[in-house]
Amino acid sequence: MRRVVGLLLVVLAACSVAFPAAAPAQNLVVQVATEPPGLDLTATPASATAAVVFYNVQEALVKVDRHGKIVPWLAERWHTADNKNYTFFLKRGVRFHNGRELKATDVKFVIDRAMNPETKHPYPGYYEAIGDIIVKDDYTITFTLKSTTANFLLNMARQGSVMYPREGVETLKSEPIGTGPYKVAEWVRGDRIVLVKNPEYHVKGLPKLDRVTYRFIPDPNAALAALKAGDIDAAMFGIGPEHVPDLQKDGRFQVIIGETTNDVIMSMNNSRKPYTDVRVRRAITHGINKPEVVKGAMFGLGRVLGTNVDPLNPYFVDMSGAMPHDAAKAKKLLAEAGYPNGFETVLKVAPQYYYTVRTGEVIADQLGKIGVKVKIEQIEWGQWLSRVWKDAEYDLTIIGHAEAWDIANYAKPTYYFRYDSAEFQKLFKESEVTVDDKARRELYVRMQKKLVEDAPVVWLYIHPRLAVTKKGLQGLWKDLPLPAFDLSEVAWAK
Amino acid sequence: MRGYIARRAAAFVVTLLVVSLLVFVVVRVLPGDPALVIIGPDGSPEAAARLREAMGLNRPIPVQYAEWLGGALRGDLGKSLQYDVPVGRLIVSRLPVTLPLALMAATLMVVTALPLGLFAARHHRRVGDYLAMVVSQIGIAVPGFWAGLLLILLFSVHLGWVQSGGFAGWSTGLWPGIRSLLLPAVALGLFQAAVLVRATRSSVLDVLREDYVRTARAKGVSELSALGKHTLRNALIPIVTVAGLQLGQLAAGAIILESVFALPGLGRLALGAITARDLPVVQGVTLFVASSIVFINFAVDLLYVVLDPRIRYD
Repeated sequence: MRRVVGLLLVVLAACSVAFPAAAPAQNLVVQVATEPPGLDLTATPASATAAVVFYNVQEALVKVDRHGKIVPWLAERWHTADNKNYTFFLKRGVRFHNGRELKATDVKFVIDRAMNPETKHPYPGYYEAIGDIIVKDDYTITFTLKSTTANFLLNMARQGSVMYPREGVETLKSEPIGTGPYKVAEWVRGDRIVLVKNPEYHVKGLPKLDRVTYRFIPDPNAALAALKAGDIDAAMFGIGPEHVPDLQKDGRFQVIIGETTNDVIMSMNNSRKPYTDVRVRRAITHGINKPEVVKGAMFGLGRVLGTNVDPLNPYFVDMSGAMPHDAAKAKKLLAEAGYPNGFETVLKVAPQYYYTVRTGEVIADQLGKIGVKVKIEQIEWGQWLSRVWKDAEYDLTIIGHAEAWDIANYAKPTYYFRYDSAEFQKLFKESEVTVDDKARRELYVRMQKKLVEDAPVVWLYIHPRLAVTKKGLQGLWKDLPLPAFDLSEVAWAK
Repeated sequence: MRGYIARRAAAFVVTLLVVSLLVFVVVRVLPGDPALVIIGPDGSPEAAARLREAMGLNRPIPVQYAEWLGGALRGDLGKSLQYDVPVGRLIVSRLPVTLPLALMAATLMVVTALPLGLFAARHHRRVGDYLAMVVSQIGIAVPGFWAGLLLILLFSVHLGWVQSGGFAGWSTGLWPGIRSLLLPAVALGLFQAAVLVRATRSSVLDVLREDYVRTARAKGVSELSALGKHTLRNALIPIVTVAGLQLGQLAAGAIILESVFALPGLGRLALGAITARDLPVVQGVTLFVASSIVFINFAVDLLYVVLDPRIRYD
């Protein structure tokens, strides 16, 4: 017996010399508040889906990087001589998670599918300008546009333009295949999604994590408790700003506060009295003290906004001081519009988004001081989408618009703002076909000024990126120029 | 007895039909559109309209109901709009969380409420009784979600004994599974127990005043036997009735507590489905819960026969 034990010990010792201890696995457990409504980026614009799939599982030909710049990605470069014919040269050796190499015919298939109304792509408009798609060889593809489209490259970088193999269409909703740094390993509905490292990833040295688990914890207090108990490593969305001061003092955690494209706005129904009158809309804007709103509703976190272009957009102009808080001016404007004693109005908010209710309460108090009595009505999210967003049955409402480059909404008279300005629509149309950067910037400045003047909505603040992680987690994006959550460079400090 | 069971079975079918029709109509009459929820405010209304058409939601409600009912009779509850998987499979996948949770909560409820109720009745209008009543009053007054948060704060954040939420899964072993359900079961069960304590107390008090209990005591029967054999057995009918009703309420409590503890159970499935207007899932879960409640009531009725031989269903 002793001999056997001795032999075993020798074998074990030999093994330990032959196989030195492996580096500890790099795992990450992340809390997200909302479970994705399916994982198909070509079927849902939900930011909850993008948070898991976009950049991590699936990628596009070009990418918006952490600074908001469009950079080559699955295409190693592109070329255009006339801003109408774009040729993309694909990176060689990029493999889908099923092992097959990405070829130009895959790109054609994906974009053809996005353009086909039968496939119910949420943003068919992004591909409207595409005329022909010509596959020149396995790694070269040319897009011929029907008309010049300034945002063509941006549209090719968006979440709806991700690449997937033809044979993976059926599983897009539940188990998407892509070229990303991580593969979907498991989705336990209602509980978690697990991603594992893609060892064949086309960027050398990435990803750094072996395994990422997204846990769905909708309750913000439960998320905070899970973080403090050490059950999760990071809370990406969902920890309220009220907890930030406390967490910043706690040596176990790091708090990341950054910019996003999420503009929190209070819309006024421009087709409903009294908001049909621009003087009333301006009075409401002057009646609101935005820094106080940020202080009261967001504990001072969040940048005050002046128009719809967010600070991560290259054409951002700081207009936050253009229509400052001025109660006397607001009252004067109301009197001119025929409301010397103010009026009563209803503000509809969806408590699913906590900030809408808090912001609404502060605004109701402020508008009360200029004689506008605001009654807050809380409605469930499904109802908000139906009644407010689709049918525009509202006076006032508050919501964050997370999509980047969404100034286009003001050029649609049927959008729930019901803002109908021929001048703005003309400017926007022009900006869409102007490729020259200087000229386009000028158009964006004019559009922003026009919006401030017409005051169709009140731009309140940018909802900040608030992420809390355990100390030692590195590589997270500080700002979110797109509603994506790139984990490819994230790693634990050694 | 056979005739009774046949009658109950018929009533069961009718109840489910009524419930399914009611839920079908209510979820469709409510404002809110599943396609809009999926597309969200950053998508286009045109895309939502196309999706709505594809989901078949533009067809007349009676046609949709008939189709759904036909499927349900064949055991097919439809496909989740949100997850794109069969509703039946979704419900089954949530049972390994909700069933043990309900079972643990019910066990906790019974083993706490019965002794405490008996104790209160035995010490009627004395310190023990008042103390038990104060404890039960607190239990009734404290909302389950708040109790859940307090339990997380104490046992997970401060003491670190159990995890703050989530379900470890039975594949990781029996103990990790039980451990992740322990706090929610306490939050759910102990606070349901508060009501049962009161029911037990008043029922036992009624029986304690009966002549046969006095006779038993006069004959020199031990106090334990007087309480257990002569009193509790006879007091059980109202207690079982209340406990049966409370088992049904556990389902409602689970909806909230599964969210607080981030458990992938049936309650959270229902809540998510309502928010997302995932109509087939709302219908499927409601039907399942309704069947369970009807079944529990049936079991309670059968238990009456066991508890009191005088009851006959012929």
